[in-house]
Amino acid sequence: MSNNGFEPQITAFGCIFCGYMAADTAGTLGWEYPANVKYVKLPCTGKMDVRYILAAFEQGADGVYVVACPIGNCHHVRGNERGKKRVERAKKILDEIGIGGERLEMFFMSGGQGKTFANAAEMMVERIKKLGPSPIKRKA
Amino acid sequence: MADGGHTQQRNYPFTPSLNHPGIQSSDHPTQSPVGAVMVVGGGIAGIQASLDLAEAGFKVYLVETKSAIGGHMAQLDKTFPTNDCAMCTISPKLVEAGRHLNIEILVDTEVLDVKGQAGNFTATLKRKPRYVDLTKCVGCGDCEKVCPIILPDTFNEGLSKRRAVYRLYPQAIPTAYAIAKRGISPCRDACPVNTRAQGYVALVHEGRYADALRVIKEENPFPGICGRICNHRCETACNRGLVDEPIAIKDLKRFIVDQVYAQPRQPVEPVPRTRPERVAIIGAGPCGLTAAMDLVKQGYGVTVFEALPVAGGMLRVGVPEYRLPSWIVDREVQDIIDLGVELRLNTPITNLDDLFNQGFNAVLIAVGAHEGKKLRIPGVDLDGVMVNTIFLRDTRLGNPPDVRGRTVLVLGGGNVAMDVARTAVRLGAKKVKVACLETREKMPAHPWEIEEAEEEGVEIFPARSFTRILDDGNGRVAGVECVNVKFMEFDSEGRLNLETFEGSEHVIPCDVVVFSIGQAAGLAFIPPDTGVGTTRRGTVAVNPNTLAATRPGVFAAGDVATGTAFVIEAVAAGHRAAESIHLYLQGQPLERPPRALELPVVKLTRAEINQRIEKGEIKIQPRVKMAALDPHARVRTFDEVARGYTEEEAKAEAARCLACGICSECLSCYYVCGPKAIVHDQVERIEEVQVGAVILAPGYEVYRAELSEEFGFGRFPNVVTSLQFERLLSASGPTHGHVLRPSDDKPAKKIAFLQCIGSRDQKHDYCSAVCCMYAAKEAMIAKEHLPGTEIHIFMMDARAFSKGYEEYYRRAQDRYGVKYTRCRVSSLKENPTNRNLIVRYQTDDEGRKTNDSSSVLRPSSLVEEEFDLVVLSVGMEISQSVRELGAKLGVQLDDFGFCKTIPFRPLETSRPGIFAAGPFVEPKDIPESVVDASGAAAGAEALLAQVRGALARHKEYPPERDVRGEPPRVGVFVCHCGSNIGGYLDVPAVTEYAKTLPNVVYAENNLYTCSQDSIARITEKVKEHNLNRVVVASCTPRTHEPLFQDSIRMAGLNPYLFEMANIRNQCSWVHSHHREIATQKAKDLVRMSVARVSRLEPLYKVELPLERSALVIGGGLAGLTAALNLAQQGFPVHLIEQSARLGGGLAALSAYYAHTEEDWGAHLRDLIARVNAHPLIHVHRETRLVETSGFVGNFASRVRHASGQEQTIKHGVILIATGAQEWRGEMYGLGRDARVMTQSEFARLIADSGNRQSAMPNSVVFIQCVGPAEKYCGRLCCTESLENALRLKKLNPRAQVTILTKDIRTYGFRERVYNAARAAGVVIVRYDEARPPVVETSQPSAVGGRQSTLGVRVWEPVLREELVLQPDVIVVAAPLVPRADARELAGILKVPVDMDGWFLEAHVKLRPVDFATEGIFVAGAAHYPKFPREAVAQAQAAAARAATILAKDKLHAGGVVAQVDASKCTGCLTCVRICPYHVPRIDATKLAIGGIYGAAYIEAAACQGCGTCAAECPAKAIQLLHYRDDQVLAKVQALFTQPDLIPLAAVEVR
Repeated sequence: MSNNGFEPQITAFGCIFCGYMAADTAGTLGWEYPANVKYVKLPCTGKMDVRYILAAFEQGADGVYVVACPIGNCHHVRGNERGKKRVERAKKILDEIGIGGERLEMFFMSGGQGKTFANAAEMMVERIKKLGPSPIKRKA
Repeated sequence: MADGGHTQQRNYPFTPSLNHPGIQSSDHPTQSPVGAVMVVGGGIAGIQASLDLAEAGFKVYLVETKSAIGGHMAQLDKTFPTNDCAMCTISPKLVEAGRHLNIEILVDTEVLDVKGQAGNFTATLKRKPRYVDLTKCVGCGDCEKVCPIILPDTFNEGLSKRRAVYRLYPQAIPTAYAIAKRGISPCRDACPVNTRAQGYVALVHEGRYADALRVIKEENPFPGICGRICNHRCETACNRGLVDEPIAIKDLKRFIVDQVYAQPRQPVEPVPRTRPERVAIIGAGPCGLTAAMDLVKQGYGVTVFEALPVAGGMLRVGVPEYRLPSWIVDREVQDIIDLGVELRLNTPITNLDDLFNQGFNAVLIAVGAHEGKKLRIPGVDLDGVMVNTIFLRDTRLGNPPDVRGRTVLVLGGGNVAMDVARTAVRLGAKKVKVACLETREKMPAHPWEIEEAEEEGVEIFPARSFTRILDDGNGRVAGVECVNVKFMEFDSEGRLNLETFEGSEHVIPCDVVVFSIGQAAGLAFIPPDTGVGTTRRGTVAVNPNTLAATRPGVFAAGDVATGTAFVIEAVAAGHRAAESIHLYLQGQPLERPPRALELPVVKLTRAEINQRIEKGEIKIQPRVKMAALDPHARVRTFDEVARGYTEEEAKAEAARCLACGICSECLSCYYVCGPKAIVHDQVERIEEVQVGAVILAPGYEVYRAELSEEFGFGRFPNVVTSLQFERLLSASGPTHGHVLRPSDDKPAKKIAFLQCIGSRDQKHDYCSAVCCMYAAKEAMIAKEHLPGTEIHIFMMDARAFSKGYEEYYRRAQDRYGVKYTRCRVSSLKENPTNRNLIVRYQTDDEGRKTNDSSSVLRPSSLVEEEFDLVVLSVGMEISQSVRELGAKLGVQLDDFGFCKTIPFRPLETSRPGIFAAGPFVEPKDIPESVVDASGAAAGAEALLAQVRGALARHKEYPPERDVRGEPPRVGVFVCHCGSNIGGYLDVPAVTEYAKTLPNVVYAENNLYTCSQDSIARITEKVKEHNLNRVVVASCTPRTHEPLFQDSIRMAGLNPYLFEMANIRNQCSWVHSHHREIATQKAKDLVRMSVARVSRLEPLYKVELPLERSALVIGGGLAGLTAALNLAQQGFPVHLIEQSARLGGGLAALSAYYAHTEEDWGAHLRDLIARVNAHPLIHVHRETRLVETSGFVGNFASRVRHASGQEQTIKHGVILIATGAQEWRGEMYGLGRDARVMTQSEFARLIADSGNRQSAMPNSVVFIQCVGPAEKYCGRLCCTESLENALRLKKLNPRAQVTILTKDIRTYGFRERVYNAARAAGVVIVRYDEARPPVVETSQPSAVGGRQSTLGVRVWEPVLREELVLQPDVIVVAAPLVPRADARELAGILKVPVDMDGWFLEAHVKLRPVDFATEGIFVAGAAHYPKFPREAVAQAQAAAARAATILAKDKLHAGGVVAQVDASKCTGCLTCVRICPYHVPRIDATKLAIGGIYGAAYIEAAACQGCGTCAAECPAKAIQLLHYRDDQVLAKVQALFTQPDLIPLAAVEVR
């Protein structure tokens, strides 16, 4: 599938601390990024549930990523580390079921890093554009 | 949050705080104490103190001189040693302080005075104008986008620019903008109507000509006219004149008009008539028309009577066309007429009374001065003699006098004479001459007018007096007879004194004579019986202040009242007359005090200008000259002479403006501001507040590095301060986190840090305590940003003295390869070719005299190395203004301005009731400042315990409506945010779309949803439409969610029935170039939010009883201090102590402190006595904690007495103050040889010596960094060794003392001990970590009574040789180590300890005495080795933190917390294991899945709501409320599903 005109739908899950603040900072500083990304906030990436990731793909996401506080700076001590483990698990599942773990990513950034947030969004959109629409959608 | 303030009746007695050290009985307040505290300084310390106080039930005034709180911490990128983002950690505190009901943030405020006494102070505050109404500004930033004034951004330390209207930084609290003003610019001040010249000049520079015209027209309705013929005294006043030439303000004004008038004229909307009164104005000149405009705008009926067939007065019929084209006058007149002025041309007024008879309520006489004067000399009636006014008027009205081929002589030297002469040239005169009384230099005409006339061939005959006009014999003019003037002068009455040269009679031949010697008003229409007086000078007599004539209702202004003047004065008079007429018609007194401008006029000094020139901010550049029509061309035409600027010329000229006033008052912000929050005429106010206590936390300022000229800061662009470097590293800083050199914006790949700039030098005898660590941090982060960056830090000692610092410092070296060299660099040179900096340094360790036996110093090898960038690690100083504050408040400061505090009470100033915190007391870093802040709050709380809650407010909400069972009825409010959202996406379309979404019953859009009226509107709409869910689509919930939640609470809705869609930060601002896409995404986000809000449910906080007492574990200094403070605050305390005596580790050290300035032993005895005596403190000696259960507010602890007796204590909070113990190890012969001793043993040796010199050792070697201190810094050991060395030196000056160490870490004021020790001859030998000292002991030999030997061998790295020392005594600086049973206690309380065994706080920076588990706190050496002063501060801090819980009536539990569905729980313990707060437990009484007993239980009061357990639970038995799976998934599904496809029930919970 070429990326001709393909605009991937990407769900970003993230915490209400650094992740959300980084997204806000990107806005404050005017760092543009593709509108394909929609942020779903969670109290902490410790709440990141493998099922949410799978549900997003099932509903039609072409890519999913998770934005967390830097390791060691989690506002809930080590929720981000828990989240990270689950993202790794979800990647394996995605590999196994043929969606592909590379459609899922996790980023760690502090709230001031607006540019990093924008870069992550851009990077994911580019990556997913290369990968093409999610295989679930192709079947449908 | 808001529940904190109120308290009800207490169940236990208050202890009067009389025994608190802050209030001595002598100054016990005679008035009743005030339950409010003023906190001075809005940095992190001030914020923390405010939050603690407010949560503990006190009203807080948080005073900050800047426009926002946040202090230095907000400027930092990361914080050491965890590399947390500073903004991420401080931002929630800012928001919390900003929203707290009991914290009143007073920004832009200075403390002038504090009167009164502890318990009852009156503080006088100076509230500086901000020019922005804090209650109206929503922080949308639209003003910033239009502000033309660009300034260095102080928040970015001058590395970037900001506007004059600004927000200190994006996350600033208050979010409102502020305007920086320095004063009134001189150009505005000089203008009779105060035209905002700096404003329109600035707008020209931005190319915004319509805006520029708008601001001119604020004061002057005739910009096109004044842009041509104004006498522009603004230019005379212009400060630029001190540099080269004034700004060509008039020419720029003309340029603006040229630009705008080249566009089609926009129709002017008439102003509605709102008042019944009618005003007649006689004369349609600039004065009359200005008044007409003002009065019509006020709503009056205005009729202007004009005798001539055209309006404009002299502008239209006096000033020649080539200077002022008629169409300009006509256009500007029309702009006024179209407002609704009735203009009657060709209508001379013959009698003033007629107007009153016609029903006019007031009359303004503004007829100008249109009657030319002739001299009374022979020949004035000859044919060919004319007067200026008629000559010019006839020309302008198209009936020019015929002077073709004739010789014209103009008599007079003023501007009108020049106009006549030049008009005559254009009318085809053969020759035009001007003769006048004055000398050429003193001619009243503007020099440029004379020059231009001469260019056009006009000949000037100055210094002539005219005796007669000669007749040619036919009754026509033949010439004028003149005499030469020797001297002339007009006296104060206007009479002429004249001396002429006798016999100088001569004739100037001519055909036509035009008198141009002045004009007068024609007052024939004012008969004497009208009651309107006139003057001898032929003007109407008026009161100069009110312009009222002698008859009520009649006013006169302009030339008719003052004599001829310039157009701008006529305009000024018109404004003033209109104002008077308005007051007259409203029946108000006309006389008012002259309106003074509130701000000073900015007069730049020569010195300041020179300084700015030196810095390159001002470059010499004369004004840009305007092109003029060639003289040959212009004599044939009435075309305008001056041709105007090109755009390029105008911008170049405008760029010369020095922006004297800073804010130019161009009013762009005022026009653009939607909520009308801009108030340019705000003035300073003085206010008073009543408070019971004051906490001073004004913070520090960084050392001004330019004072150390040798480092070239300010001259070499690539030398920056560490604070500037911090901004360079910040992702939201000027370079977005890239370390770019200021000189060329290229990445800095090789960076040097110079330490101790403004610390530990000749002028500063203290260490700034933070620089070593921030340099390590900045170095590491720079390397993370750009791997491969070489970083070299030049320092004297690495002061890595606190918890985790040593490890951090090692990480910088080992993991990041940061290079450290021990060398104090003395100066910097710049390589002029590439602007690199050259550092000259010694390659090896600093040369230092070691001991006498090895006095040969190896010549050190000096090298020069070039760096791209040099960072000066600047130290802390106390600013001049803070020193002044200290003096005003009468608190004692030291020579450096640091606050002197009372020994043993480290947070109290010399004035009772005034506390101090943070670097104001001593240089310190963030956590210690936060500790101070909480500790100072505890001091104030103890002082004011009686009135806790007296002034605390708490908001009342209407009862909540039960919405359960109702189908969702969602209201959506979409915000334009001015142009922030509305400018980039289609807000109405989003609103319309929202209306189509399921469950949405109402949607609207607002200009600013967060403005006060919109907030009230949400409340109304919720009621009106019976909404039970609300979505606001606007900015970020991080700052605004509580505000909107409040608005629905006011309508009786549960605050959890709310959701925000962030369509600004996460949509309009990041897709600003794609309107369609941004609109679509906004719709998606709203759809997602509606889907989620539809599933949200009300959450209720339940009230739990609260055990309002504390358990303090440990009876040492910290535990005793905390216990006493809590008891003084009125809270019962159980103090448990393992041993049989109180006093802890410090008691053993009392010898160490005996007979010193700070006799801690004595203090401790006093403290113990007071604790024992306090009725609220229950001391349990020989008691250990066995078990603790429960949670915050409701703990139950089982304690066991040595006798075996057990007891269960109920308490609400726990304070761990178990201290530490001195390390005991076998190193260096310790414990094997009596001559090898620890610090405390040595102190005792000295103390026991009875001051007998003979009993003292004659040589001592101290060995530092021993045992575990090899790994972490013992913090105390350096200072203790130096102090012990000094004690010995004092008692036995001959004693040789050598200290073997890796670094000397005498941070803060302890540096003075180091200085004193060096001065006393104490020798410091640095040893390498790889080659520690070796101690050799041998026991006394029995043979021959030989002395035993004690030897120390140590490798000296500078000398590269081994030194051998033979002391009498070796002191091993044994560090403090965690208590052996610390881990056991940590286990009981389920709180963490770090790798070394120290108790681990919740957050190293901002929660230094809290544990992650709520309700448990730590203080003293249990946390890390502490000096006694530090332990006291920390103990008080822990008490303050505990008080935030104990001060409440009830515990409010619930909200976003995890809940277990026991019927699904398998009791697998996953949640118990993974909860970071140790909250879940297995409740054996609960039935789990399969009917087995033992299900997980999560206490709502303790749950922190992270949701980790819910995500982890294998059985999915746990749900996090507000983030239930269905609620999260609803959002996910809505993202992909169009509304018609989402039936609500379709979102399946799995």
